[in-house]
Amino acid sequence: MENPLFLAALAVLLVYAFAKLRFELHMMQLNSYRNDRYFKWLKTNVLQGTRVFEAITLAITGILLLTAGAVVTAAAFILLYGLMAYLLFVKKQKKPVVFTQRAQRLFGLTFVLSAVAALAFYLATGKIMCTLWVGGFALLLSFVLIALATILIAPVEKSINKWYYNDAKKILEQRPDLIIIGITGSYGKTSTKHFLYRMLSEKYNVLMTPGSYNTTMGVIKTVREELQATHQVFIVEMGAKQPNDIKEICDLVHPQIGILTAVGEQHLESFKTIQNVQKTKFELIDALPSGGLAVLNADYEFIANRPVADRETALYSSDNEKVDFYIKNLSYTARGSSFSVFNKGKHLADFDTKLLGSYNLSNILAGYIVARHLEVPDSSVAFAIKKLEPVQHRLEVKVHANGVTVIDDAFNSNPVGSKMALEVLKGIEGQRKIIITPGMIELGEKQEYYNTILGEHIADTCDYAILVGKNITLPIMKGLKNKSYPDNKIYVAQNFKDAVNHLGGMTRAGDVLLYENDLPDTYEL
Amino acid sequence: MKIRIGVIFGGRSVEHEISVISAQQAISAFDKNSYDITPIYITKTGKWYTGDALLNVDNYKNTDSLLAQCTEIYISPTFGDFTINAVQSSIWKSKEIAKIDIAFPIIHGTNCEDGSLQGLLELKGIPYVGCDVLSSAVGMDKIMMKMVLKESGLPVVDYTWFTDRSWHMDKQAIIEKINKIGFPVIVKPSNLGSSVGVSKAADEAQLIEAVELAGRFSSRILVERMVVDLKEINCSVLGDVANQNASVCEEPLGAGDILSYKDKYITKGSSSKGMTSTKRQIPANIPKEQAMLIQDLAKETFRTLSCSGVSRIDFLVDKKDNKVYVNEINTIPGSLSFYLWEATDKNFGQLLKTLIDVALKRQRERDNLVVSYGENIFNMSAGLSKSGKS
Repeated sequence: MENPLFLAALAVLLVYAFAKLRFELHMMQLNSYRNDRYFKWLKTNVLQGTRVFEAITLAITGILLLTAGAVVTAAAFILLYGLMAYLLFVKKQKKPVVFTQRAQRLFGLTFVLSAVAALAFYLATGKIMCTLWVGGFALLLSFVLIALATILIAPVEKSINKWYYNDAKKILEQRPDLIIIGITGSYGKTSTKHFLYRMLSEKYNVLMTPGSYNTTMGVIKTVREELQATHQVFIVEMGAKQPNDIKEICDLVHPQIGILTAVGEQHLESFKTIQNVQKTKFELIDALPSGGLAVLNADYEFIANRPVADRETALYSSDNEKVDFYIKNLSYTARGSSFSVFNKGKHLADFDTKLLGSYNLSNILAGYIVARHLEVPDSSVAFAIKKLEPVQHRLEVKVHANGVTVIDDAFNSNPVGSKMALEVLKGIEGQRKIIITPGMIELGEKQEYYNTILGEHIADTCDYAILVGKNITLPIMKGLKNKSYPDNKIYVAQNFKDAVNHLGGMTRAGDVLLYENDLPDTYEL
Repeated sequence: MKIRIGVIFGGRSVEHEISVISAQQAISAFDKNSYDITPIYITKTGKWYTGDALLNVDNYKNTDSLLAQCTEIYISPTFGDFTINAVQSSIWKSKEIAKIDIAFPIIHGTNCEDGSLQGLLELKGIPYVGCDVLSSAVGMDKIMMKMVLKESGLPVVDYTWFTDRSWHMDKQAIIEKINKIGFPVIVKPSNLGSSVGVSKAADEAQLIEAVELAGRFSSRILVERMVVDLKEINCSVLGDVANQNASVCEEPLGAGDILSYKDKYITKGSSSKGMTSTKRQIPANIPKEQAMLIQDLAKETFRTLSCSGVSRIDFLVDKKDNKVYVNEINTIPGSLSFYLWEATDKNFGQLLKTLIDVALKRQRERDNLVVSYGENIFNMSAGLSKSGKS
């Protein structure tokens, strides 16, 4: 009787161990396998349901072990651990754990550590039921074990990464003909990458780092898995969270052309000062070979004021005519934007695009400068620019059947973006300009300030304002009042449904609507 | 890092042997510093093989021993899967034999040049050289091709067409139509290349025999007016719908008044080396203006049929009135028409490189098109209704 029961208890415990360690692995994975982040997260999460339940189970089985017989204990063991395993298996995860090779290694080592703890006890005492209990106890402390495993496995991971790094380097060394372009910047690097990709594809076979793969490991993965002999150009997006991040990527890929889209106050937590941001972003430009092309967005003070020696520079701007390349004759219509590009007073080309907003156009300009440098004909570039697609809900313009133009900027919620949206609304042809907005959220202590400014901009731009939510839009109302905006041009809606109903009764052909920011369903207006 | 090319040849087609020769010629002309070649041979029964033994044309004399030295393979239709897999694998022998970046079909005739192979490559999403499904299919079917060209205002000789079955049921009505075109006529099966099943008919009796013959090869039959005092001129076009170049013109010198399959490929017996062995005059002995007209018509035909890669367009010139007619297009011409390009401005290696570049360009253009939306319309939340609707 005892042996089968014991074996059953062991099996249940093993199943539970799998579920529990998978959970710990998941948490470690979400914290990027970094113990510092993991412990920070643990501080608030160490006492969550699973662990409490586990402690209770251990207490019950511990008491039974001392007072009742082995059969009762084993039965309780099977019941309680079975239940907990079941609960862990049915638990839904937003982003489930991914068993990458790295994850498998860490999982394996943590499992071994837990088993070693129990085994050591068994060898020392020879008590089998107690050994199971010790195994359970080890699982209670699995968050410590996984942290320990992370430390133990670090040298292995490091040498594996090193191997991948060298492998990618070797692959790139075999391709001296490959044109490599680096793109970095606080904002706009992903858009610029896509725009440039589309333009260069008119003439070349282009590979770009996909999605948000903008770290060294992401670049290595792209080189090892996607670079083919047919590729002629490689566009590398380079992200930075701390100084030296970009230099590290450049040391691997050795870009010949660099685009710097913006130096702004992003990731200031780790960078501390904007000077550090500037220095880090310029690591790309410093890595260019002598005579390499540096494409620099002069609209940012911290780019324009940084001298660059021994490189061919192309400073660009969305409106400043003093720099090398700039945009002129900009006009917005319901079909998008039209603009001309000039080079030091000389007209180069005219472009049409479905995209709106000076940000987008400035990113297009950066792409054009590189495409031109790589001798893609202007007519092909113009076709490519015409074909660029806006990202959904980001300054996306549509003309509806009833003649009303809608600018959908529902995904935007930052002060710079909303200012640009209002500029577009102002510039676009149409009768009445109407905004529908709940204002901006998640801006911390400056939220009220920025919303008041938004209200003032609205007063300058719009013929009618629909504010969604009474309390949340009070700062916007304040801004409108600062500019003595008339009451009869404001409608305060209870929610989006109310706003849409109100609009239905008043819009007519020729009106232009701007949907500025959309709040999540859970947000209380 | 070399570009890996899978050259596909052979095939279930009457032009199987010609394809083998064309492919051998191309494989030896590739710049081996830039390209790695994987030969992919489709047998007459439709099995696929790879192996180095395929690279020597002499080995094809004994197919059994050739195939014994090769590995039977398959490619899956899965999108994005560019591996070549062994049919037989074990724990010691890996299934994956090779990977290719680009497929290069050098196959003439049915079951390959007609768009079927292109359809498979299209499903796989692999870049490939030459015409796509649509232009291959239209180019292979002589009837469809004539309809499209005629509709586009290109000069074609008078023709009529019918099916094998309707010929059987309603012969008299069809003969009446043919009488209107006027004898002599040429009778062709709609979908074979290299003059197989083609014959002329000077009167009704010969017509019946000619249709019987053509009906053995295709259920759709084309009858066209025969240009009696004929000069044949061919011209090759290289490029895609956006840009094309035409080669110099050639005049094939046949034994009879139409070039039979025998004339084209077997005249010199076993020493035959495909199209290159055919007697021909390059450049054709025609006035400069006529050559330019033919080159323009060739490019227009290529564009109209939405071709890509290298094609050879064959023309008929009526010596009586010097009128020029588009006769047919070969979307994968014998020997890839390299001899015409050598006489123009490119050696075979340069021609192949251009073909690869055009294939990659088409792939890029394709990648830029929207093929499906990321959103799952079965799973759209009602929340969308609140943004952007008026």
